[in-house]
Amino acid sequence: MHALIGTLINGIALGMAYALIAVGYSMVFGILRLINFAHGAMYAFGAYMVYFFVSLKLGLLPAIMLSILMSGILALLIDKVALEPLRKKKSIPIATLITTVGMSFIIQNFLSIEYIFTSEKKGFPSLNLFGSFTVGNVTIQSSQLIMFVVALILLAILTLLVNKTKIGLAMRATEQNVKAANLMGINVNFIISFTFFLGGATAAIAGALISGYYQVISPTMGSLIGLKAFSAAVVGGIGILYGSVVGGLVVGVAECLAAQYLGSNVRDPMAFVILIIILIIKPTGLFGKKGISKV
Amino acid sequence: MSKEGEYPYILRIIHDIMKKLIAIFLTLTLMLSLVACGSSQNQTIKIAVAAPMTGDNAEYGIGFANAAKLMASQWNEKGGVKIGNKTYKVEIVEFDDKSDSDEAQLISEKIVSDPNIWGVIGHFASGICMVAAPTYNESKYVNISPSASHADYSKIGEYIFRNNTVIVVETKTAAEIAVKDLGASKIGILSIDTEWGQSAGNAMEENVKAIGGEVVLRQEVSTEAVDFATEVANFKAAGAEVIMVAGMYGTLAPFAVACKNSNYDVNLVGCSNAYTENLISIAGAAAEGIYAPVSFFAGNPDPKVQEYVKAYTEKYGSAPSALTTQAYDSVGILLEAMQKAGKLDREAIKNAIYQIQYDGMSGFTTFDSQGDAQKVFTKIVVKDGKFVVAEF
Repeated sequence: MHALIGTLINGIALGMAYALIAVGYSMVFGILRLINFAHGAMYAFGAYMVYFFVSLKLGLLPAIMLSILMSGILALLIDKVALEPLRKKKSIPIATLITTVGMSFIIQNFLSIEYIFTSEKKGFPSLNLFGSFTVGNVTIQSSQLIMFVVALILLAILTLLVNKTKIGLAMRATEQNVKAANLMGINVNFIISFTFFLGGATAAIAGALISGYYQVISPTMGSLIGLKAFSAAVVGGIGILYGSVVGGLVVGVAECLAAQYLGSNVRDPMAFVILIIILIIKPTGLFGKKGISKV
Repeated sequence: MSKEGEYPYILRIIHDIMKKLIAIFLTLTLMLSLVACGSSQNQTIKIAVAAPMTGDNAEYGIGFANAAKLMASQWNEKGGVKIGNKTYKVEIVEFDDKSDSDEAQLISEKIVSDPNIWGVIGHFASGICMVAAPTYNESKYVNISPSASHADYSKIGEYIFRNNTVIVVETKTAAEIAVKDLGASKIGILSIDTEWGQSAGNAMEENVKAIGGEVVLRQEVSTEAVDFATEVANFKAAGAEVIMVAGMYGTLAPFAVACKNSNYDVNLVGCSNAYTENLISIAGAAAEGIYAPVSFFAGNPDPKVQEYVKAYTEKYGSAPSALTTQAYDSVGILLEAMQKAGKLDREAIKNAIYQIQYDGMSGFTTFDSQGDAQKVFTKIVVKDGKFVVAEF
């Protein structure tokens, strides 16, 4: 029973962080119908930027702020440099997809450059700021709570942003019909850039949270977590924000339960097992709407 | 007529003799110069260092190369290696296997195609070593791995040596720390899911049982794993008093962090590969109280060891690790064996290694008939952010 509660706490905390990454996939997919596979690498980039600024003795919080800014800008640049030219040329969707995969490798290799970061694992400042406390037989780490609370607040802000603000309205309009939105006077290019920036920024926050929890980073840390978050986004219904949150929680809890009851080796495949099961039962994901085919 | 005829006849004879002499002289000069050319080309002998220079285990590979170069430069300063009645300079050639089996296979073939490479120091991980070793053995290239610890590695062939103690011997000391020195009866084991991790975990289990300890829980994780919350909770529930970790610093460090963050006050015992600066730099305060058995310890007060540590630190900026030192000794063993063999003959060099008694930095080393090094272990522990000799 204690083991179950501990596992659930770990799973929910992780799940919220996954949700934060999944939202980035979801937002970009909503607007561009594009799966941004560079998103996992953005997550790693965010964590490395925090590491970098902390090593410059800037303090943890300013380092995280700077990292969010840098990652947001990098995401925006990826779109401007590599994706927008392809969109303008109306190239086939698979070309854009492969470009994002390529981008993820470029970022990953940048993170293992000798003399700046090196390819080895590195220690990361702890987010277990208030220590760990034990209730009954269950130990809760403050880093888990921080991860949960910060992710929850950010997801709430994002939801408000998309549903209640003018820019959110523009995002939703662009999501429904790019051409019509453009005709209504919405600066679609700005909305796309803004969405990428948001995606990069949330990935960086997730990177800081998860790395602060494990206290270790490596250049390839984003590839597996990126895929897990992508599964989370698809499980919840890609393009739907609250779907990503539920998807993230499902993946996070499921993998921790798997590690607990089926063995540690089953942990990583769990996200994909769930993905396959959900896709067989409900191909659009848990909350996905049937796509309206545009003519 | 006859007098007139005799004269040119004699001349002709002299002429013939002269011609032959010149021919012989020219041939001799040519041959001598060829020999001279040949020997001047072979004034250096090459030793390959094949290890991961980039990637997750890069710290180990770069350490191997650094140590090998230091040993080579020390020999070269003394004039070089005397084989028979010629002396040769030693040159170290680096190969980066990226901890990748395919890459290691390619490198091994590259190495055996160079006839002036007389020995291979490397590779790092057992699994990678075992991919490359058959190629070296077939081509009769002496291969000394400073780190391979899988039991089957040295069984690959006569030319395959390890200047590292097998995992069974190493974990014997680790089990001794856990059960006898720390006085724990309930032992947990965490192993990584590689070939090495599994055999190390098995060896730990056997050794703990052999000296009367009880293994309450054994868990296996992937090498990339960083989330240990579940594993820590399981060890806690099983009541493990000491956890033995069969993994590299990349696993041991975050695991120590997870234990600390879960308020789990437990002693961790690693393998000899835990003795690296990275362990402390990643785990920070959580590294305190991690024990490990090592063949070499830089804090050893022996002046010979201190001199070596000083030379290494001056050249590369950090103290050498145990595995690095085993690489350093491996080069020394190979060069001394070549000198003992007295000729550049791969079989003679191999035989000389089996006979060698080498008083190196990683302890007095001999090799058994399998090609496995026999050494004595020092028990160390992390205290105040530093490795020190453990006192119980």
